[in-house]
Amino acid sequence: MFVVRAVQFADVAPLTALAAVATPGVHTLPKTHEAIQRAVEHSIASFAAQVDLPSEESYMFVLEAGDGSLCGTASIAATAGSQGTFFAFRNDVIQQVSRDLNISHSVHALTLCSDLTGHSQLSSFYVRDWGEAGHEAALLSRARLLFAAAAPHRFSDRFFASLAGVTETVNDGEARSPFWEALGRKFFHMDFLEVERLIEGARNRSLIIELMPHYPVYVPLLPGEAQAAMGQVHSEGELPFRILSDEGFEPDEFIDIFDGGPILQAHKNSLRAFSSSLRLRAVEAASGDNDGAGANYLVATARGENFRAVLLHSPLLEQRDEVALSAEAMRALDIASGDPVLCVRL
Amino acid sequence: MLVVRAIQQNDLDGLLDLAGRVGGGMTTLKADRAMLGNRVDVACASFAETIPPEQRDYLFVMEDVAKGAMVGVCAIKSAVGLEEPFYNYRIGTLVHSSKELNVFSRMETLYLSNDLTGCSELCSLFLHPDYRSGNNGKLLSKSRLLFIAQFPHLFGEKLIAEMRGFLRPDGSSPFWDSLGQHFFQMEFERADDLTSLGKKSFIAELMPRHPLYIDYLPQEAQDAVGKVHVATAPARRLLEQEGMYYEGYVDIFDAGPVLQARVSELRALRDSALALLDAAAPRHAEAGKPLLVANTQLGDFRVIACDSRPTQGRLSLSAEQIELLHAKAGDAVRTLSMNSNQ
Repeated sequence: MFVVRAVQFADVAPLTALAAVATPGVHTLPKTHEAIQRAVEHSIASFAAQVDLPSEESYMFVLEAGDGSLCGTASIAATAGSQGTFFAFRNDVIQQVSRDLNISHSVHALTLCSDLTGHSQLSSFYVRDWGEAGHEAALLSRARLLFAAAAPHRFSDRFFASLAGVTETVNDGEARSPFWEALGRKFFHMDFLEVERLIEGARNRSLIIELMPHYPVYVPLLPGEAQAAMGQVHSEGELPFRILSDEGFEPDEFIDIFDGGPILQAHKNSLRAFSSSLRLRAVEAASGDNDGAGANYLVATARGENFRAVLLHSPLLEQRDEVALSAEAMRALDIASGDPVLCVRL
Repeated sequence: MLVVRAIQQNDLDGLLDLAGRVGGGMTTLKADRAMLGNRVDVACASFAETIPPEQRDYLFVMEDVAKGAMVGVCAIKSAVGLEEPFYNYRIGTLVHSSKELNVFSRMETLYLSNDLTGCSELCSLFLHPDYRSGNNGKLLSKSRLLFIAQFPHLFGEKLIAEMRGFLRPDGSSPFWDSLGQHFFQMEFERADDLTSLGKKSFIAELMPRHPLYIDYLPQEAQDAVGKVHVATAPARRLLEQEGMYYEGYVDIFDAGPVLQARVSELRALRDSALALLDAAAPRHAEAGKPLLVANTQLGDFRVIACDSRPTQGRLSLSAEQIELLHAKAGDAVRTLSMNSNQ
């Protein structure tokens, strides 16, 4: 049985192995052993922290298979900009109207903004063999939001996730981002992957405001291939894009300042983890209880610490006040009969 | 003999004829009878001083007296942008630098501006192709500077001249195609027509409000910024010799340069001088060092080129030349060497 749980110190080594195979520039999880160790320590401290207002906490989760091996990881930061303003391009629409000439059309402009600074940010989602990942990928991604629903005071009312933009492989095997070529390169004078490596994928560094355009970028002035790349997700980002869209996230309003990748965002009220999750009492399942027709659910602990989540096939829960869990699921969630859990449809 | 003179009411037909030869890119000289008729009316009122100085538009024509033909035209607007906003792009610089990454980017930007509001403008210069030889072009263009030197109180502090921008051989503008086109969604010619018809409010409504980085434009459009049309290069040189210079303002449609100068620093203001006329065979003729001579009458301003030299405040001209200036012996005239290096 797969379980999503808060990261532990013992996970550093397997996470380092996991990160080694991730595509550079696409996944935002930390790469080096030191960076991973820092992230894990920070997460453990964050889970332990008493939080009044969301600030610099960041919570890291892992997806563990039945055999105890790690197959994925995902994080959520309480606020995107705790270490510095978080920058994104806002997709503005400027109406061009001339009554005299009977002209009316709209022009898109990208404005460097810090609107997302106070929002909670989903990041570092990575699943091994993502091409074959099934419901477990959704479990990993959405468990973060169930944790947020269980502990809303730790998070902002708004959430977002920035996904990798499209790149093309050029002859030497390097990834080339058409959006970066048209925009960032003119200001940074360096390759996309080089700058991503230098700033470790961050979007909250002051050098961004030093280098990126202060004035709106009129989209029609960009080359066609850069325009086409705006808001388009990298092929390795399609899975998280789909999962988050199903959860209730919306693209289009913001894009990444470097590769033009989509930024999905939502108010918590439009997320299913908040609006459609059920708080039920867990009971021990009798054999056959969960067989037959029904639906797939995510089940997560409702307590403040030792967060855990699993998948469950169950008869419809919407009209119930308890959920029947197998002994194995109870063990995976580390709960006893009668404890409250959060359930949401997959 | 050629004379440049203040336009008169009955010059409209000749002017229309000339305007028909101009072609695109010159917003102030379209062959449209109603428009040009109106312009001639304003010009006559300007020379007659029946309208306020800031509304004036002094239109001059060059006449081949022997043939009675109108062969050139030029104008000075006393102030631009006071009724309809006058737009230019100002080329600015933004530096983006990061010590941490050791990056220093110096970026040129285009700012939409009305900075030149209130400036006097040299405009609408056109010389018939058959007359583009010798010093005719200089006589036509520089006659205006003599007018300003004679009547500086009628003009603003600054003088500008918009030069036709770079166009492709087919008449299209690479700058427009890469920029204006996206915001106006119309062809260069049509936008140009609308401007000349005075429908300029559409510029304010449709132009991008924020500064633009020139680097975003395709190379062909970047190269056109501040560059004159091939046929306009001599006119640019000529004005630069008179003390005008390019200071980073360009046309918003074709990115042609705007030349500018303080009126008080024009060569015509510094170097022109008054002289009294003598009717005599020119005694100080020096071939190859032509002189511009203008009468001092606002309403019937006339300029000719000659080879005489003023001596001790007096200038000898032939009876025919004096007649061309509508002057008589003993009258004061304003003189200026045609070329700046004399």
